[in-house]
Amino acid sequence: MTSPGSLRIAVDIGGTFTDLAAFDEQAGALRFGKALSTHHALVEGIEHTLDGAGVALRDGRLFLHGSTIAINTLLERSGARTALLVTEGFRDIYEIGRVNRPDAYNLFFRRHVPLVPRSRRFEVQERLLASGAVHKPLEEEGLRGVLRGLKPQRPESVAILLLHSYRNPAHEIRVKQIVQEELPGVFVTASHELSQEYREFERVSTVAANAYVGPRVSTYLGELSDHLDARGFRGAFYVVQSTGGLFPVAHARRDCVRMLESGPAAGVIGTQAICAQLGLQDAIAFDMGGTTAKAGVIHEGRPLTTGSALIGGYDQALPIQIPMTDIFEVGTGGGSIARLGQGNSLRVGPQSAGSDPGPACYGRGGTEPTVTDANLLLGRLDAEHFLGGEMRLDIAAAERALREKVAAPLGMDPMEAAEGILRIAVTSMSYAVKAVTTERGLDVGSFVMVVYGGAGPLHASAIAREIGIRQVLIPWSPGYFSAYGMLYSDLRYDFVRSCFRRLATADFGEIEGLYAAMEQEGLAAIETSAVRPDSITFERAADMRYVGQEHAVTVELPREVFAAQDREAIKRHFDAQHGIRYGTSAPGEPAELVSLRATVTGIMRKPPRHAVAEGGALPPADALSRRKPVYFRDRGGMVETPVYRREALCAGNCIEGPALIEEHASTTLLQPGDRMEVDSAGNLRVAIGSVVR
Amino acid sequence: MNDTRSAAVDAVTVEIVRRGLLAVTEEMKTNLMRTAYNLIIYEALDFTVGLFTKEGETVSIGLGLPMFIRGMAETVKAKIRHFGYENIHEGDILVTNDAYTTGSHLNHFTFSLPIFHEGELIGFACCMAHWLDVGGTLGTVTTDIYSEGIQIPIVKYRRRGEVNQDLVDIIAMNVRLPDKALGDLRAQIVAVTTGERRYLELVRRYGWTAVRESISVIMDQSEALARANTRAIPDGVYEAESFMDDDGVEVGEPVPIRVRIEKRGEEMTIDLSDVSKQVRGFYNSGVTTGIACAQVAFKCLAAPTDYPVNEGSFRALKVIMPMGTVVSAERPAPMRVWMTYPMTVIDTIFKALADAIPDRVAAGHHADLVFPNIHGINPNDGKFYIVGIGPLGGGWGAKASEDGMSATVCMNDGDTHNGPSEQLEAKYPVLVERYALREDSGGAGRWRGGLGCEQVVQALAPFQLTTRIDRMHCKPWGLHGGGEAAGNGIGLRRNGEWQTEFPNAKVFNVRLKPGDAYMMRSGGGGGFGPPMERDPDLVARDVREGYVSRETALETYRVVLDGAGRVDEAATRALRAHSDVSAARPTSMAEASEGPPLDLTPG
Repeated sequence: MTSPGSLRIAVDIGGTFTDLAAFDEQAGALRFGKALSTHHALVEGIEHTLDGAGVALRDGRLFLHGSTIAINTLLERSGARTALLVTEGFRDIYEIGRVNRPDAYNLFFRRHVPLVPRSRRFEVQERLLASGAVHKPLEEEGLRGVLRGLKPQRPESVAILLLHSYRNPAHEIRVKQIVQEELPGVFVTASHELSQEYREFERVSTVAANAYVGPRVSTYLGELSDHLDARGFRGAFYVVQSTGGLFPVAHARRDCVRMLESGPAAGVIGTQAICAQLGLQDAIAFDMGGTTAKAGVIHEGRPLTTGSALIGGYDQALPIQIPMTDIFEVGTGGGSIARLGQGNSLRVGPQSAGSDPGPACYGRGGTEPTVTDANLLLGRLDAEHFLGGEMRLDIAAAERALREKVAAPLGMDPMEAAEGILRIAVTSMSYAVKAVTTERGLDVGSFVMVVYGGAGPLHASAIAREIGIRQVLIPWSPGYFSAYGMLYSDLRYDFVRSCFRRLATADFGEIEGLYAAMEQEGLAAIETSAVRPDSITFERAADMRYVGQEHAVTVELPREVFAAQDREAIKRHFDAQHGIRYGTSAPGEPAELVSLRATVTGIMRKPPRHAVAEGGALPPADALSRRKPVYFRDRGGMVETPVYRREALCAGNCIEGPALIEEHASTTLLQPGDRMEVDSAGNLRVAIGSVVR
Repeated sequence: MNDTRSAAVDAVTVEIVRRGLLAVTEEMKTNLMRTAYNLIIYEALDFTVGLFTKEGETVSIGLGLPMFIRGMAETVKAKIRHFGYENIHEGDILVTNDAYTTGSHLNHFTFSLPIFHEGELIGFACCMAHWLDVGGTLGTVTTDIYSEGIQIPIVKYRRRGEVNQDLVDIIAMNVRLPDKALGDLRAQIVAVTTGERRYLELVRRYGWTAVRESISVIMDQSEALARANTRAIPDGVYEAESFMDDDGVEVGEPVPIRVRIEKRGEEMTIDLSDVSKQVRGFYNSGVTTGIACAQVAFKCLAAPTDYPVNEGSFRALKVIMPMGTVVSAERPAPMRVWMTYPMTVIDTIFKALADAIPDRVAAGHHADLVFPNIHGINPNDGKFYIVGIGPLGGGWGAKASEDGMSATVCMNDGDTHNGPSEQLEAKYPVLVERYALREDSGGAGRWRGGLGCEQVVQALAPFQLTTRIDRMHCKPWGLHGGGEAAGNGIGLRRNGEWQTEFPNAKVFNVRLKPGDAYMMRSGGGGGFGPPMERDPDLVARDVREGYVSRETALETYRVVLDGAGRVDEAATRALRAHSDVSAARPTSMAEASEGPPLDLTPG
């Protein structure tokens, strides 16, 4: 085997584009690439992207990968023929779910549709109690009979959910062995491997989703592995999880559901990397694309995570109960359609024109006015310079759609209507940011908002003003940011164990044992990994609540409190966290533990920050591309505005708003009163003018 | 259409304010849920939060409980009448749990915080939430309000920022679980203060005039939508009737529910004068709930999804609701199970309109929470506990274009969750033996009704069981030739013997020993259209998935399946051709799943 090269290659497959970021550890150079995603042949898309960027796999030391394949398989319902084995009496819990009906006045409401139909859900004769004790032993022969009966149906995967397996996985482990014996070659997954938290519906949904996407994702990752080998790649292949952490491809092929949100999580990791480079503690990661906007948070240097997420719209969502980066999403993007409702209300989104037919200005048959059409009409996008001039936009079509569908019925001027549509879109995106900050008790005024995604930099200033954020940062290459973020990911393993104990009487020996077991498992996984991390860190947290409360909050706990067996310190941490999140705490009330959480991280060496040429306050003459009229409401109409080419800007250059800064896949808008300075890493640092509060 | 649009506010501001108001009530809801102490608030979402004008008109409601659509606004108005504006001050929080004011039961403590902007009262932030226990007799049927617990008239919980500790002490001494009750109280205060803070932020951001004008336009928009949809209903007078099993006191004595609807132009009148007089048992509710029955039904038909609830949604609706009925009961009528009858009133309104607007209504649903209560001493800590186990979720009615949904909470509740069995078993001495869909419980039809559920819960330590379930006898009806569904029901296993024959589905304080068990069954939803017109392939799928038995497929749907479960098309055609449609009259699906389940875990 030849020694691996020095390239760290990150490839992120998104809905529309496959992005690449590569860092040469020897030369210190950063390269980017972009190609259209080829959903029928993903490996081919990766190949095109590599070729386009001139990156050779044989030079790779690390191949880091995120993909929408898992989430798309779920949303498109194109996964495996899956069977589900559950504790007797509970065949239907996956279908019954939580019986809720959020759409309360709609007689035509819909419920979630299970990924496994009832005819492929089978009961296993066994039962554990909440203590983990065996109430009824596993009846193995009956199980074998069920599996033999199932064989002719050619199941491609099997999911296992047994009650209380979070306390005692023995029965699930044995059932898995028997399935592997009876159905060799079939993808098998048991709930405790993914989640050791109580809540049987959420766990069954998680394990069923893993089984459902497993065969397809595993096959894809296997093919990609083979392809990398065939092209001379001799390094290590890692996949990005929904936490933003990396795990080896062998684990990804087993716990496929952990990569559901790899792309969005990587964007948050990229934001964290920028924070580390600039010495920032708190930042918002804001990503706006064609159909949605997403917001995540870096607090005290680390991304906020959540213990579960809902996949699909709330009404029909499938819950996934694993740790993930906490990302709030709203249905507002460049393609969001503006329309009039009954009584002439003006609504923007969540319907999107997507990429086909796309906004009216794409000239592909779209007739509905969108956020992109509004930006074009107001002069913020340019018909001749969209995607570096590769795609010409039809401004007359945008104007027609806005006038006919919105402006005329409301008796407004089309420019005024376009500006109004953007204000509504900005308001709705601002709620995504508020949801992850102010609603968690965080003071948004002290946060820097890092904005990326194709459409983000165009609206960043307006969103910041809406919420009271004073500083915005547009990173280098905002259109490639998820791939860029992957270069900064660490190896990461997250564990959760449900453990209902009163804090006042909890046995520290037992708790220490649970944490130690989780940490040992993480350590072992990292130590067997192909790449040696620089260091390994361990973090502990606990889900806690006041005795009698149902909902728990996650509290980060320093290791010292366990060493010192300091119950009061744990209680103080909990009271403080409860106070921050809900504005109230009850220091006099007893608390209890619900679940213990451990995160083991293998810290990888980070690429140094990207650097751009130094310059003075004045941008070089060739950076000014042209001047054009752009609409600003505060200025009462069109204002002659300079347009700069981002690639020509140097560190130290300053630009006062109003101005536009164009790059290949994105445009940054500076509003009057904003002041931008390019930092030494090429980031655009915008001081937002006259914040409205 | 009544166009009162103000020139003072533009469409963009209105939309931004609409989004802002929704965000305020959503955050109130989130904060209440996350700080609440009891499962009924956190999982069952038995609460409602809202913003109201200074007159008590609904601006935005975060649900919770759809049936409380009216109760909170009327409670705010009652509080204004009680104190007068001159006695409502900044820093006050007003409270009551008076059942005849809220229209519901004493568990619904309702807090209202007056919001002041620059010294002027501009509205109220309110929160109703269900407390697990408010005292009163435990488990038995009550026959007056005094046996149902502590009654707090309209008083101030907080006066100009100072908490009324006397009130708190009185409450604490009169409820069984004061820690939980006061924990929930704190959570409700978090909700209303969140509402105040965020509403004021919105007002400061856009200006009070713009917000006030926007609210007025938003209400007009809701009204315009409701009127447009009402116009499309053919004019006429429509009537329907159904009944409740009994009131828990006069066992076996049905309680009639009659409704009359008059539709003319773009307005609708719902007349509930002929709903039964108030009853002796605890199934009464107050007049605000009677009006809510009409409003919920109207909202479902006229404006189901387009806008969140506000006062404008109901301007095209007139409700005739005399006092003294089961949904407009007067003191001292017992109210503890206020939520059950109104759901059937709503279903009966849909039934009345089934011929006029067949494509907008649904067949009958199971119409009960199926939410048994147990209490006892927990052997883990030696302490008294009360817990409701559910809601079970049941079947919803089929519609003109699709099957009904299975295992979904009834009309009274919306985003209400059941509790995880794993959590229940970790906290209480119970073992859930089974939680399953009931085969054949959905009404047959061209479109099939949703399936009900069955849950069997074993006692690991002794506890007392109380169920207050109705609609065992009045089964969820079908529409336009669709069959009726299985009704709700209960069973008890004592000393290893199952008993499933009961005169109704109500048992009070039955003591179960370790190894004994209870069974709850929720009904299905009614079918829509003749079963013989159902696509045979859908019948085959239902049989394959175990939703419908082969017998029902053959006898009711007249579909012949081969050994592999595929449709035998020729035989099906022949069978369907040779039976007169009226001969294949819909049969009750209840028979097939009556009797105890066969594969119970020995206890």
